[in-house]
Amino acid sequence: MALFSFLYSFRYADSLMVVGISICTAFLCEAISWLLIYRTSTYKSLRSSIDKASKKLDSMKSTSVSSASKKPSSSSSSASLSSSSSSRAKKMDRVETSLKDATRDLSLSKFKSGAVVAAVLFVVFGLLNSLFEGRIVAKLPFAPIPLVLKMSHRGLPGTDPTDCSMVFLYFLCSISIRTNLQKYLGFAPPRGAAGAGLFPMPDPKTS
Amino acid sequence: MKKAKSTKARSQEQQNGHALASKFAKFLDPEASWDKDNLGDVLHWTRQGLGLACGLLWGAIPLVGAFWILVFLVLSSGVIYGYYTYVLKIDEEDFGGHAALLQEGLFASFSLFLLAWILVYSLAHF
Repeated sequence: MALFSFLYSFRYADSLMVVGISICTAFLCEAISWLLIYRTSTYKSLRSSIDKASKKLDSMKSTSVSSASKKPSSSSSSASLSSSSSSRAKKMDRVETSLKDATRDLSLSKFKSGAVVAAVLFVVFGLLNSLFEGRIVAKLPFAPIPLVLKMSHRGLPGTDPTDCSMVFLYFLCSISIRTNLQKYLGFAPPRGAAGAGLFPMPDPKTS
Repeated sequence: MKKAKSTKARSQEQQNGHALASKFAKFLDPEASWDKDNLGDVLHWTRQGLGLACGLLWGAIPLVGAFWILVFLVLSSGVIYGYYTYVLKIDEEDFGGHAALLQEGLFASFSLFLLAWILVYSLAHF
């Protein structure tokens, strides 16, 4: 009990409460995801096929770049070179489509656990809201830009821009803690997955 | 019998020690070979460490003002760039160019930095 009284001697001890709840929520969400998806054999096989396909694609891309730089010595060899490069292009297309299919299946299979995790996050957010509605949980060492201010000053009395509400702190916690926890446990989305970037570019070939 | 076991245990420990040392040596060895995944992981965790350290330091001093967010972004990107260019001496074209390497773990480390900065500032100075 001494610890609690010590912790609560800080003026902004609420921030520690928000961070603590966020950490527990992150572990809970990863446990649910592990239970529903990451331990299943379908996920494991999908994951390994994505890794294999993206590594094969990388190696094909690097060999096709290096072979293109070499100048063909005579016309006959340039004919054979163009036929081998077209077969390579076909092979690359096949690997690319298999990578895309596997990525799509992966995100479909993650849908179920994603829904459960979203429900948990919704409930926890409701709990935090009821606990800290209108309370200043932390002090910002900077005055945020208006876009951030909407979140960091939500539901707070007064106009001091450096007052921080639970919503902003919870937002920071869930990004930094969950992303790193997933990375640490190896649940992060595979790097090679097609369109895994922030804004998946439309594929020129298909559109 | 007991003596033999202890020497075996000690050699086991040395092996682990060597394995660990060689693992860390790779992080500073320009000749080491990297593939996209484990280089990405190393840069990710380096950036998280930088985010946490800068956040704690900025909050403890305390440094106040949005300008220091910029200082952190420039500092951490500079350290990451310097690390893979001068220490690991890798060719960034093989790994997707500077953008991909500098983007590795950026958003997570930025929010970790803000979180640490705000927490230490709120708790230590009020």
